[in-house]
Amino acid sequence: MAILKFDKVTVQYPIYNSRSMSLRNQLVRISTGGRIESEAGHIQVVTALNEVSFGLKDGDSVGLIGHNGAGKSTLLRTMAGVYHPISGSVVRQGRVATVLELGAGMDPELSGYENIIRMGILMGLSMAEILSKTKEIEDFTQLGDFLQLPVRTYSSGMATRLMFAVATSTAPDILLVDEVFGTGDAEFQVKAKERMEALIKSVGIFVFASHNHELVRQYCNRVFRLEHGCLLEVDINAI
Amino acid sequence: MADIAQAFQCTRIIVFMAFSDVKARYKRSVLGPLWLTLGTAGGSAGLGFIWSELFHVDATTFVPTLTAGLILWQFISGIITESTVLFSRQASIIRNLNLPLAIHPAQLLLRHLINLAHNAPVFFIVALGLGHPITLTAWLALPGLILLALNLLWLALFIGLVGARFRDIEYLTTMVMPLLMLVSPVFYRPNYLPFSEHIIWFNPFSHFIEIVRYPLLGSPPPIFVVETHLVMLVVGWGVTLWLFNRQHHRVAFWV
Repeated sequence: MAILKFDKVTVQYPIYNSRSMSLRNQLVRISTGGRIESEAGHIQVVTALNEVSFGLKDGDSVGLIGHNGAGKSTLLRTMAGVYHPISGSVVRQGRVATVLELGAGMDPELSGYENIIRMGILMGLSMAEILSKTKEIEDFTQLGDFLQLPVRTYSSGMATRLMFAVATSTAPDILLVDEVFGTGDAEFQVKAKERMEALIKSVGIFVFASHNHELVRQYCNRVFRLEHGCLLEVDINAI
Repeated sequence: MADIAQAFQCTRIIVFMAFSDVKARYKRSVLGPLWLTLGTAGGSAGLGFIWSELFHVDATTFVPTLTAGLILWQFISGIITESTVLFSRQASIIRNLNLPLAIHPAQLLLRHLINLAHNAPVFFIVALGLGHPITLTAWLALPGLILLALNLLWLALFIGLVGARFRDIEYLTTMVMPLLMLVSPVFYRPNYLPFSEHIIWFNPFSHFIEIVRYPLLGSPPPIFVVETHLVMLVVGWGVTLWLFNRQHHRVAFWV
């Protein structure tokens, strides 16, 4: 039973430039009063999500569209519980798996097999569960003997296959996928589609950020458009 | 606070990650972590014999003292130096997975305990080889090490939080640690100093080192060293938890 509910969620994050990240400027700021404050201690605050509200339940498969910097990745991270809102509430029930950034949680020096174990452990699986899923991951990625090589030798498409395979094999209730997914080749896209359709059927929430409206139409049954941090649900046939 | 409670449930992740990091680091080397052991052995042998002659002190007591000091210093300074980049180094995990932040300092501590375990035999070999007796009192080093480790854990979390926000901390620490090594009793014992023994006890690192080194060399640590550790534990954890509680939601934006 997966639930993901946002109520007037606002996420702001600070952008520290080299000046405000520096301790010296903080100290100078204290010691000089307000004189150069505007220059030394200025922290820009970006409102990435502005009072976003929606409710997702089992079987919802959502495409997130919007310009670069519209807040798609921030929304995915807030859904995952990585970012915390400054106001509003997030209700999340179910196991979350993410494919957000290429190479997240992987160690480039370790082999593909060792990284399967590493990512599996990070995502909360037990050793026995991981070993029982390894065969399935092998089949899905079709990386063959490459799985014995260190991950640093992989192309970005190969790394995506591995990440996606591990993330989906954890049987998540909520799967959050960012655009990285697009780096896979045509064959992978076909297999990924099968896997995703199975996953969406086997109860769960799927959220997918993409600029590729074709992919969104294939995978999703709802579409959210983000503009300057504001969320608007649009009709899937209208995109 | 919930973050810390969750971290206790992630023991498996902490243990696995610590071993996996040690393994990844020495992936393509033949001797692997034994390089640490060799380095410590070489360093303490070289420094020990030259300095014991230079300072006209008895090698049988001086070399084991120095070896224990060097090993403990590597442990302490290793944790403190690395804790400045504790969260930024794990950015790819912090920004992608919803895991408690407190697993990172625990993982760092465990990794350095593994390194310490590789170095510790050097001390025993040196001490026994030179005929310095290892008595039953040496077992007291274990509770001492636990007190030290718990203190280093809050220190790592505290420095990690400050270091994630202010990037200068990393360079500041790299600069200060070698200086601290000279004013801490690494190469000598506090009681070797004729006039300033009481001054050196103001340095918390003296307490960090001596709580383990005293029992290793055959006498229980002075009671005030244990008391200092207990006070630091309470005050340190208090301040760190207060800061962590206020700031841990922001860390994902900082790294």
